[in-house]
Amino acid sequence: MSVLNSIGEKLKSYRVPGYYTKFDHRWGMVIDLDRCNGCEACVTACYAENNLPVVGEKDCANSRAFSWLRVERYVEGEYPDVKVGFIPIMCHNCAKAPCETGCPVYATYHNQDGLNVQVYNRCVGTFTCATYCPYDVRRFNWRTYRPDKPLDEQLNPDVTVREMGVMEKCTFCIQRIRAGKDNAKDERRGVKDGEITPACAQSCPTGAITFGDLNDPQSMVSKLALSPRRYRLLEELNTDPSVIYLKRVAKDGSTGTGE
Amino acid sequence: MKRRDFLKFIGVGAAGGAAGFIIGKVSKPPGAKLIPYVVPDENIIPGVANYYSSLCTLCSAGCGIHARVMEGRVKKIEGNPLHPVNKGRLCALGQAMPQVTYNPDRIKGPLKRRGAKGTGDYVDITWEEAITIISKNLSDIAKSGSADGLYLLTPPQRGNLGALIDSFLTAYGSSNHYQYELFGQRNLYFANHAAMGLANAPHYDIENAKYVLSFGADFTSTWMSPVHYSAAYGEMRQAGKGGRGALVQVEPRLSLTGANADEWVPAKPGTEAILALAIAHAVVEKGWAKGGDLDGWRHVLAGYKPSVAADLTDVSEERIYAIARAFTHTRPSLAIGGDGVSSYQDGVSGLMAVNILNHLAGNNGATGGVIPNPEPAIKRDSAVDFKRRISTLAADAAKGKVKALIIYNSNPVFTTPVAAKLASVIRDAPFVVSMSSFLDETAVYADLILPMHTGLEDWGDDAPEPGVGTRVMTIMQPAITPYYNSKGAGDVFLGVAKQMGGRLSGLKANSFAEYLKDAWRTAYSKDRQMSASALTFDEFWEGALKRGGWWPKATVEARRQVTVSARSVSAHLAQMPARFEGKDTDYPFYLMLYPHSAHRDGRGANLPWLQELPDPMTSVVWGTWVEVNPKTAARLGLKEGDMAAIESPSGKITAPVYLYPGIRPDTVAVPIGQGHTQYGRYAARRGANPIEMLPHSEDARTGAIALNSTRVKLSGAGPSNMVKMEGSTKELGREIIQTAPPDGRSES
Repeated sequence: MSVLNSIGEKLKSYRVPGYYTKFDHRWGMVIDLDRCNGCEACVTACYAENNLPVVGEKDCANSRAFSWLRVERYVEGEYPDVKVGFIPIMCHNCAKAPCETGCPVYATYHNQDGLNVQVYNRCVGTFTCATYCPYDVRRFNWRTYRPDKPLDEQLNPDVTVREMGVMEKCTFCIQRIRAGKDNAKDERRGVKDGEITPACAQSCPTGAITFGDLNDPQSMVSKLALSPRRYRLLEELNTDPSVIYLKRVAKDGSTGTGE
Repeated sequence: MKRRDFLKFIGVGAAGGAAGFIIGKVSKPPGAKLIPYVVPDENIIPGVANYYSSLCTLCSAGCGIHARVMEGRVKKIEGNPLHPVNKGRLCALGQAMPQVTYNPDRIKGPLKRRGAKGTGDYVDITWEEAITIISKNLSDIAKSGSADGLYLLTPPQRGNLGALIDSFLTAYGSSNHYQYELFGQRNLYFANHAAMGLANAPHYDIENAKYVLSFGADFTSTWMSPVHYSAAYGEMRQAGKGGRGALVQVEPRLSLTGANADEWVPAKPGTEAILALAIAHAVVEKGWAKGGDLDGWRHVLAGYKPSVAADLTDVSEERIYAIARAFTHTRPSLAIGGDGVSSYQDGVSGLMAVNILNHLAGNNGATGGVIPNPEPAIKRDSAVDFKRRISTLAADAAKGKVKALIIYNSNPVFTTPVAAKLASVIRDAPFVVSMSSFLDETAVYADLILPMHTGLEDWGDDAPEPGVGTRVMTIMQPAITPYYNSKGAGDVFLGVAKQMGGRLSGLKANSFAEYLKDAWRTAYSKDRQMSASALTFDEFWEGALKRGGWWPKATVEARRQVTVSARSVSAHLAQMPARFEGKDTDYPFYLMLYPHSAHRDGRGANLPWLQELPDPMTSVVWGTWVEVNPKTAARLGLKEGDMAAIESPSGKITAPVYLYPGIRPDTVAVPIGQGHTQYGRYAARRGANPIEMLPHSEDARTGAIALNSTRVKLSGAGPSNMVKMEGSTKELGREIIQTAPPDGRSES
């Protein structure tokens, strides 16, 4: 009985805000907007890693494109004083995620690593989570998309292929986190910093994206997160996101593209 | 239900099940099996990935890759973290490599033309037949005494495949190896050779520069070695000692790199060279110049007073002096001339002006400046043959000199102006062989199509161009067994040589893999640094295959010093703004063409991931667009998404209007990449090819095709179905992208 009790205690403690500090990891990401040049290599890396379907021109026009990760581009000013800014946006894996409170079937929940995870088999497609998400990162399978053969030979066997009626989103490449943790466990050690890299961070040509454990004060993300340039997107919504941005440096110190 | 009925039901069900099982077994395509081998290699464990180090072949930069292979299929391509060019990173185009290999439109086996040329009517043949047909044709041509009538058209060919092709042609008796690529940087090679005596592109040390002055070089997106330069850009911004490097971009239309610049200088199209020379003039005038021969420079630059240049270039005199000051006083600084300036008819002049700037600021040979590359132990680009260019090929064809044309890995019909008449050259040549993985605009005119291995199935090697300041040699090895009945180019040349014998009997290797290994063995025994790195060649080779190639930690030879003399450059300087076809009264807008960030010269358009990848600047997917300044569009009565007819004196296309604040009001810009008529289901009949609008104008010295060479007019042509992914281009007060002042102090 004591085992059951301890499990019960553990589950209960998951529901307390800030619980992740008590557990092994809180995966987080730091994105340096002063390095990011908006090239979108990360977007293609995400397509390749996570079996994202290509939906075609018509469905793109209906905003049904699947990019879990997108690079937003904002433009301020008129010719010739034009300022442009780029920002990659993926699921922020918020510690106080609005999407989680909305799901009627608990398809989206918070796991013990601080990840906001999506259980495809539970999802019934109510779209509530996507409506609640302030970052617009959730993607819905309006149809069952399958690549033309033999493009399916490329599909990553570590990631499921989703079907019509299911909501999905960036997972921080949970399959890579799993693999990293399993390897570490096999070798009877903890996960080393830098051992786990999601596809976007791995590909980033300018080295703008860093991934790691925010619970570990020695990790690269934790160190970068102390930067005075740190900010989080739409922080006033109190979602406590795990993605931390570093401000773009403007030569003249202006407020960038805040038009 | 009665018992009897129940048994009947069960019986029928079982029979049906068995039949279904058998039909399923028989009709299943071989690819549907879990592991595509009867007896798999011992290193194939289901569910466990193997990684192979290799080479990215989608552009000419030469990035090292790791191919992740599971159950004999490539799953993902990632940068090789050890490789000095890309340091583990990879661009969107490179990552789409698996979609080349598994593309549904790949040619599955050798084809021989049955119908008329251009109809795409082909019959399957075997490789033996294909090699025999080539050997017979080449033998006949050689016997008739016109061996020089064999023309070979490839992109600039590096590594041992290039060496093999050279020895094949030499042995056969032809000197006609045409090396063409739309963004092949012929002007840059010419300018650097004429000014500094460099045969190869130097290493632009962006990483350590503190002030980068880029003239139309979209180096973080498409220019030369974009992943290497992007990595360097990131380091320049945030990792370097001594503070953050600045980037100033001179170009009429804001590129992706320009969008990241601290300062945008929208000089008038065609005057960038004059602007660069005016900056040089200011440097000399103010006494900021380094190096000797100031009188010589004063003389050469006399005609480029900033006060005069200001009128021509639309850049104020004060700004010219300010740039000159910052460029010479911020150390180290670096000027780069990219596709923007080299794509004029007088493209060499702009690059020459950039070389002068680097010389006067003392950047040549300096860390954070222009660093000459050491020689690698394997073949680099064969020296660019400026005489052999698209126009001479067409002229030779008109004279009937072309007896056989072999085209490898190149689609010149798509990437040359209609006026260059390359389509008719290829159509009318007596014997055309296309070595291509896809039925593209060029292959469709071929008599024989030989499907090529993709980079994931073939052997090869490469010395990256531009180099990175140290010696780098990359090995390409097959990550998977060939998916279709294709061959590597090297094996085709060796096969033909074997069958023809005679003068080609010197090419004895049984396979290109063997040829390659032998060449590396020779290099290993000759090169002291290579032989010192391992005890035996086998040990060296195994290590090189694991790492993905060979690159010593530091180069042995001292850094070569280069200088630019006033005399060597004076003949190549622009006297006036670049020439544009069409009168400004009839054709009011300059036309700028630039490579699409993912499709480049059109090669990426058949890859669905890249079609659906939003353009970084406009977010348009699955099509072409024309960038028009909002004020210009308002004056013409054009709204975003309207179809516009774009007409030049040489041609006309239609494309949807995208309102782009980052472009001069007197300029419109169209990306290259779409508008294929062939090239598979994802590319064909989509968007427009703006190269069709160009006159055939080349730089007289190099033969580089001028992309910025015509004026156009614009008119509304009804609605369009442009698809763009952006919502608003404004942040609407949401403070999405926040900025900080340079010292890193956070703002409140």
